Amino acid sequence: MRRVVAAVSVVLLIALSVAVAEASLLVMLFVFTSILRLTFGVELGDQWLTLYAPRYAPVASVVIHHAGTIASLVFTLACGLGAASWRYRRWRPA
Amino acid sequence: MKGLLRLYPRSWRKRYGAEMEILVEETSGGVGVALDLLVGAAIAYRDVIRRDRVLSAAGAYLHGACVAVLLQAIAFVTLILAGQRSPEPTDLHAGPFYFATVVGTQPWSGDELRQQLSAALGLSAPFPWLPELALLVGLVLVLVVMLATPRLLRSLR
Repeated sequence: MRRVVAAVSVVLLIALSVAVAEASLLVMLFVFTSILRLTFGVELGDQWLTLYAPRYAPVASVVIHHAGTIASLVFTLACGLGAASWRYRRWRPA
Repeated sequence: MKGLLRLYPRSWRKRYGAEMEILVEETSGGVGVALDLLVGAAIAYRDVIRRDRVLSAAGAYLHGACVAVLLQAIAFVTLILAGQRSPEPTDLHAGPFYFATVVGTQPWSGDELRQQLSAALGLSAPFPWLPELALLVGLVLVLVVMLATPRLLRSLR
């Protein structure tokens, strides 16, 4: 039972950390969009999360599609898990 | 100043907390001592984490995720830098999977007009890509610091 609880906790912590990482990435992209005066949109299911630039001049626009969102999640997770497994296997007592 | 000792791991405080409090009381305080205490706390945590295999792997996981976020931010700014001034939409895709699209400003836009006007009036040469480049350089510097942090922490005594 303890092993199951530990495994579920690990999975939840991994999911939470990826969610926090993706949220911080999104905030960072919003800040960059604001600095660079762009129109920025992210596809989230059937909805769009969009940040419009002021309309007094034509501006460039950037759109992140579904595949981009999923690839970003997978990439963050893979980098984290890759680094963790590398350290776990190469760990030596200090 | 003694409040900074709370930043140390509990096991460390149990063992050395009382001695350290007396030592901190005897010093006059100041920014130098505060910095020493902060670096000391980082070293104490490093030692606690390095002693445990699972904690060590968890630390590596968080580090890897942070590096991934920074790499994606760098890719985003690079994509904008490459596609913003292109008249055609710039797609980032792998086969049928489209990850992102940048639609640049059109040649008739105010931005281009401003550039042509500045060139015609002999004003200083415009560098429209300068904000993107500055952002990119800043992000790369943060990435370098992030990659060097574990090594720096290891070298601290």
